[in-house]
Amino acid sequence: MSRSVTIIGASALPVGKWQTQPDAETQVLEHEVLAKLVVDAVKTAGIDKGDIQGLSFAMNRHYTLQKYFATFMASYLRLPCYGNVSEVLGNGMTGGWAFENAANDILLGRSKVSLALGINFETAARAQDHMMSSMRATGDVDFHAPFGITPITWYALDASRYIHEYGSSRRELASVAVKNRMHASLNPLAQFRKPITLDEVLDQRMIVEPLGLYEVPPRSDGAVVLILAEEDYAKSLGRPYVRVRSRGFYHEGVHQLSDVPNDMTAFGAARAAGEQAFADAGLLPTDIDVAELYAPCTIVEVLVSEALGLTPRGNGGKWAAEGRTSLGGEIPISTSGGLTSRGHPAYVTPLYSFVEAYEQLMGLADERQVKDAELALTSAELGNYNAALVHILEGVHS
Amino acid sequence: MIPVIESGQAHPYPPRITEFTRQFWDALGEGRFMTTAGVETGQLTFPPKPVSPHAWDEEVEWVELSGRGTLYAHTTVHASPSAFVGDLPYRICIVDLEEGIRLATRLIGSAEVSIGAAVELVAVRHTDGLSYAARAMNS
Repeated sequence: MSRSVTIIGASALPVGKWQTQPDAETQVLEHEVLAKLVVDAVKTAGIDKGDIQGLSFAMNRHYTLQKYFATFMASYLRLPCYGNVSEVLGNGMTGGWAFENAANDILLGRSKVSLALGINFETAARAQDHMMSSMRATGDVDFHAPFGITPITWYALDASRYIHEYGSSRRELASVAVKNRMHASLNPLAQFRKPITLDEVLDQRMIVEPLGLYEVPPRSDGAVVLILAEEDYAKSLGRPYVRVRSRGFYHEGVHQLSDVPNDMTAFGAARAAGEQAFADAGLLPTDIDVAELYAPCTIVEVLVSEALGLTPRGNGGKWAAEGRTSLGGEIPISTSGGLTSRGHPAYVTPLYSFVEAYEQLMGLADERQVKDAELALTSAELGNYNAALVHILEGVHS
Repeated sequence: MIPVIESGQAHPYPPRITEFTRQFWDALGEGRFMTTAGVETGQLTFPPKPVSPHAWDEEVEWVELSGRGTLYAHTTVHASPSAFVGDLPYRICIVDLEEGIRLATRLIGSAEVSIGAAVELVAVRHTDGLSYAARAMNS
């Protein structure tokens, strides 16, 4: 395939609490928010609306009352197109599939320009009610949910195993939250921007041991629009752009927990997807300048950075504690602030990762800019990293 | 055989039962922890399934497991879905059974259990149905 996919524009809502209560007199509605982002992104990119031939949406949460959201938006924005108009769903990987779906139309020659976009509104629902739904997503309804296994319980189980096997500690894992909050303090899109200390992280109430409040994701709303284009089109604009250098995907054929005992904390899917992406790009993990990882909890960032080869196995926590994954360190990870501080509007979280990679590679990241960043890696996942989607992106400035 | 204990309470979020899985739940009530294995390969799977996920056929047989195993991982949940608020805090664990099956369940009992420790499964009879849990061996 000779075609290449590029990112030529991005617009995102600051992550936070935007959703109104169902009985609020004045509502904040998804389609209005997203329409404004689309118009902003397209205007900033300086392209013609008529060139857009695909709308690939991350599916909305079930709280969004407007159904058939994709075709509703195509009408709201009066956008006829030949590529596709669809909503995709892939658990935590949903935003990643929205990106892939748009990219595939470009690779197949069906579209020169496609939007990968989505809006995730959910914060009006109470956490304990939301979990009644999410526990059915991250486990077997009849053989896991009846025990009260919440999504992040799986990550806490990882943490207990990792600490046991590698002599890590809650303190070490908690340092990831401190590092990411420092990054978030420099990111206008982040939900939580006030720097925190290690002691403050350790003092928070336990959510699921050994993870306290600041080591698990907050409840978040968010929305993202990315403009993807075939490379010839991107070149014709005469401005820098980001090229998708390679991608990798792997699903291990397991939902949450393998009944055949394996090394649960090795995150084999991330390793396989990463190896595929690195091989296709002809690159090594050490070539990456900045990595924006899908990591809902501190322990997840540690494990996925190890699985991708960005940090040595068993030392991901140590590297974070030593500042080697901070801005200015050997491999800056989650420069956006990550899911714990940038926020986690789950279905669009992978799209926010592309926004961060785009800003870093375009030199638009201001105070959190990784100097001379040329290559970025993103990951998306679902379950307990039972599947991983990895992209390697490069900035093109010539 | 595994011990059967009484919870004295209704199940906060009971499993759905099919014609097929009813065999698992009925056996559990009698203190037998069963699952299925492919007839050809003998390879076990859990939860029990009317097909073999390994061989992709319907030649499966029921096998009784000892219920004994080791603790692979554990945690204590302090923030739960609304159905389980009355149970808080509660412990969740992953157990590797000695037959080579891994599963996740509640960890019950007051004993401190560390990773690698011997645990056993128990059937838990609620007022409205059955469940199971793990606890420290000899607790």
